[in-house]
Amino acid sequence: MERRAAHARTPVGRSMEPTERDRDRVLPGARAGSVLLGLSMLAACEGRQSVLAPAGADARVLGDLFMVMLVGAVVLWLSVNGLFFYVTRINPAALSKRFANGLIVGGGLLLPSVVLAGLLGYGLSIMPDQRAPGDGLTLRVRGEQWWWRVEYWPEGADAPIVSANEIRLPVGQRADILLDSARVIHSFWIPALGGKMDMFPGRETRLSLHPEKPGRYRGQCAEFCGTSHALMAFEAVAMPPEAFDAWLRQQEAPAAAPATAQGQRGARIFAREGCGACHTVRGTKARGLVGPDLTHVGSRLSLGAGTLGTTLADYETWIAHTGTVKPEVEMPAYDHLDPADRADLAHYLKALE
Amino acid sequence: MAEHQPAPDEERREFREERESLWRITLAPATWAVHFVICYAAAAVVCAKAPDSIGTLRLGIGALTLLALGLIGWLGWRAWVQWDVRTTGDYRNPLGEAEDRHQFLGHAAVLLSVISALGVLYVALPALFIRSCG
Repeated sequence: MERRAAHARTPVGRSMEPTERDRDRVLPGARAGSVLLGLSMLAACEGRQSVLAPAGADARVLGDLFMVMLVGAVVLWLSVNGLFFYVTRINPAALSKRFANGLIVGGGLLLPSVVLAGLLGYGLSIMPDQRAPGDGLTLRVRGEQWWWRVEYWPEGADAPIVSANEIRLPVGQRADILLDSARVIHSFWIPALGGKMDMFPGRETRLSLHPEKPGRYRGQCAEFCGTSHALMAFEAVAMPPEAFDAWLRQQEAPAAAPATAQGQRGARIFAREGCGACHTVRGTKARGLVGPDLTHVGSRLSLGAGTLGTTLADYETWIAHTGTVKPEVEMPAYDHLDPADRADLAHYLKALE
Repeated sequence: MAEHQPAPDEERREFREERESLWRITLAPATWAVHFVICYAAAAVVCAKAPDSIGTLRLGIGALTLLALGLIGWLGWRAWVQWDVRTTGDYRNPLGEAEDRHQFLGHAAVLLSVISALGVLYVALPALFIRSCG
């Protein structure tokens, strides 16, 4: 901008020359930039949180819908602009009235009516399958600020298996997922597995997912829900059915007693600091329901609802700096613990597998 | 033209007819609007109060759609006759004469009937494809 302003002050005859040179110099750079941008955008098609890398039946159908719309849009764009180019540059003579009327009726009335009816029918025809009933397993997921309360109800179960901040599903089966929320509207979305569904306080919504490829994917709250909305994520794992059943049995069991001296010290600190008022560790006196169930927190693939990893250092970071890691989270920061106590507590929690 | 003797009240009759056809061009979009409101309200009430009756609701929407399309078709046909494009070959009716105004109102009503019929069809399509309330 500044350079152009400088040119504007130079005499008219001279101002052309540097501008031409500028253009020669700028264009290759711009071209390389757009190529780079294009490549980096292509890279976004990969990954474990991409609608363009589907791993489930529902995401595949939605991916097809996207491709149909994209290809259709490109064809329409090329046709309209091609026609425009033809009548303005190649053959700018006046069109016959008959042809022009045909163009208006055919291209302006018939074509959009038929294309829109086709797309509407296609879109509507895939909707019922997205909400098809499940094969037996039901999950209940409640949105909290800013984490996920998860219950697994295998077919015929009369009590749930409680977990948090992680969704595991068996491959090759359709699972029902019933959603609601504690206080504000959230939205449950695992892009690699299917569409998103809003979660409302006091109202149950339903989604069903049919994973096809085993793997680790990522889910994310897709409706702004407060300060740490962006940090409300979760790991989604699609597992072979036998592995899933084994995992679920392990999740059902109460917590193992700490096996090491350090773990035992950590358990005492957990009790002493009153962690059990908010957290449940099944098999101990900790029965709080305010925060996530920690019975098997050590088996999870992330901490703080997809915010941190799972090393001992991550546990310590979470315990001592909750509000820094996740602004406005309800859990207070336990930064008054001395480093040894903090390490013991982290050790105890990580061993809860 | 010279042998045409206007009846004393012809002008008044013509004016009345124009006034009526001015109303008539709104009837097709109004049919679409009524169809839309009934379909959405009925679906909302049935799914909230009696989700098991969704089959009856879908049949009802189907019948209402046929009725609306029939009505719009009839209005469209009357407008087509009024437009009279086949006899006159005049698409645009650019002159400000009574006859041109008359035919232009028919022309506008034909186009509105077409878009209304499409609107009614698109509103009804979900009832064809979706078999449950949720």
